[in-house]
Amino acid sequence: MSIDFKETTPETSETPRKKKRKFRVGHYAINSWLIFWALVSVIPMLWLVLAPSKTDREVSYKNPLSFASFHGYVRAWKNLQDFNSGVLARWVLNSITYNLAIVLIASVTASLAGFVISASRIRFKKAFLISTLIMMLVPPVALVIPLFIEMNKANLIDNPMSVVLISSLYPFGAFLAYIYYSSTIPPELYESARLDGCSDFRLYTKIAFPLSYPLLALLAFFAFVGNWGNYFMPYIMLQSPTNYTLPVGLGALFFSTPAINPGNGATSVPILKPEIALAGILVAVPVMIVFLISQKRLIRGMLAGSIKE
Amino acid sequence: MRQGRRHKPKNLLMILMLSPYLLLLFFFGILPLIMAMFNVPSKSPSNPNGGWGVIKIVFKDFRLLPAAEHVLGFMALFVPLMVIFVVAMSLMLDMNTAPWKKYVRLAYIVPACISGSVAVLLWYVLLEPTLSPFKGIMHWLGITQATQIWKTSNLTFILVFMAFFSLAGQWILIQFGSLQSISTEILEAARVDGCNQFQLATKIKLPLIRKYVIYMGVLVFAGGLQIFVEPQLLNSSVYHGIAQQWSFDQLSYSLAFDNGNFGEASALSLMLLIPSLIGALLVIYKTDMFEDVTLKSPKKMRKEALKREAAKA
Repeated sequence: MSIDFKETTPETSETPRKKKRKFRVGHYAINSWLIFWALVSVIPMLWLVLAPSKTDREVSYKNPLSFASFHGYVRAWKNLQDFNSGVLARWVLNSITYNLAIVLIASVTASLAGFVISASRIRFKKAFLISTLIMMLVPPVALVIPLFIEMNKANLIDNPMSVVLISSLYPFGAFLAYIYYSSTIPPELYESARLDGCSDFRLYTKIAFPLSYPLLALLAFFAFVGNWGNYFMPYIMLQSPTNYTLPVGLGALFFSTPAINPGNGATSVPILKPEIALAGILVAVPVMIVFLISQKRLIRGMLAGSIKE
Repeated sequence: MRQGRRHKPKNLLMILMLSPYLLLLFFFGILPLIMAMFNVPSKSPSNPNGGWGVIKIVFKDFRLLPAAEHVLGFMALFVPLMVIFVVAMSLMLDMNTAPWKKYVRLAYIVPACISGSVAVLLWYVLLEPTLSPFKGIMHWLGITQATQIWKTSNLTFILVFMAFFSLAGQWILIQFGSLQSISTEILEAARVDGCNQFQLATKIKLPLIRKYVIYMGVLVFAGGLQIFVEPQLLNSSVYHGIAQQWSFDQLSYSLAFDNGNFGEASALSLMLLIPSLIGALLVIYKTDMFEDVTLKSPKKMRKEALKREAAKA
């Protein structure tokens, strides 16, 4: 179907009423498509949220988008807690602690780097910015094998420090901080503070830092969203199940229980589809909540300040 | 002279403040690359004498060509689909600002939190005819058995859907954000000149957001080339053997951890890094995406300003 939105073409022979009707039909078609895609986007998440309310049998035979009972969530949670002597709680705790450490280190180092690059006249500024941009654009997966070799030499394999340190490198954050400080704090402010005898460190703590709370929130947001669901790096670096994060633990549930693949054989505690879906909720929902709250900031941040206010 | 002396300790403090990030950048960005380069010519089972001949061995590996076919097939579908769909959707979203559209935008962001292991779980369910919320449509199409869908020959399409579904929503919002940056005066002037909505989208808006579309294209390309988690999890947990060494990264992983051949794995990793690096350099130097980042030297900028003045005169 071709959609024409002609509103003011003087040479057309169509009557204004016909044109208006055509315009409306086009609009209805586009709006319907936009709503349809919104529904398609939400349905899988809806299934994930509703699945633990049912039994494994009900998941297969009941309406996929129906709700069974709240008791289902309690039962699935209890079964998950009993799996491998409560290792799930450990995965949740690991995910929270690793992510807290990553968010803290990554946000502070990136904020300091952005400030120094925007406020100082140090050498190799350009080389630093280009290497940061390159690191920002190269997918982290590309470096996993070299990083494994390095961590192995440093004896940090199966040590959570390896995941925390590697994930704390935050070139995107440093770039974002640089853009923020360059565009919001005029250099004259630094100059006058310097004339008043302010040291560089005090410039950061007394001027830049108090003005950068929105930036810090943005840095923390991106660091959290980027790392909470990360599977590959912890999967390679961590070997003991007690060190796993939630996404790696969820992967382990896939291949150690019959929930998805009945060929895996039964486990002592019934870990089936409702339990797996509940574990999936634990991975997906925190990110979804943060996403929904900070939608606008995400857009501005991803374009790293290149959008005009 | 005195001034120079006074500046030194100040710069030292700045460098100290920069050092935590610099250390991370060096140890986890630059050093792994150097170590990988040193690791490539090391002795390995397939390269007992060591040396850079290992690159030839990687090229001759019988698993490389099928992996290349899979990944290139995946990219040929995934990258254009992403770019065309995302641009079209963001232009449609930008056509008018009805208040209900903010809820639609919220819905688009939901699949972004479904990635990695959760994405595998959800797609297993979505494509399983007995579990899927779309099972009515699947049965209507004659798909009643999982084996009709889950086979190696369909894997490219399944992985394209998985990656597309996870990423499209957030990129639609980002491109919608870039469309918001277009000045209303330009759009108004075009409307006064008789532009209809379609012409406005294709002749005015699209050229103005070109750099963001290229930025997206490069990131989507670089990310797609490194596909690993989804085929690896499908292969190891859902349907054993369905995606054995399906992608380059899976092959690299298998070389390192199944065969203990870190020399070949490093060589393959470095080879894969090259397209990503080229993409990154293209975005930095060939688009004006980061022109405000003063990547141009002050000398060059002065020269350009002088040229502009001369042209004006």
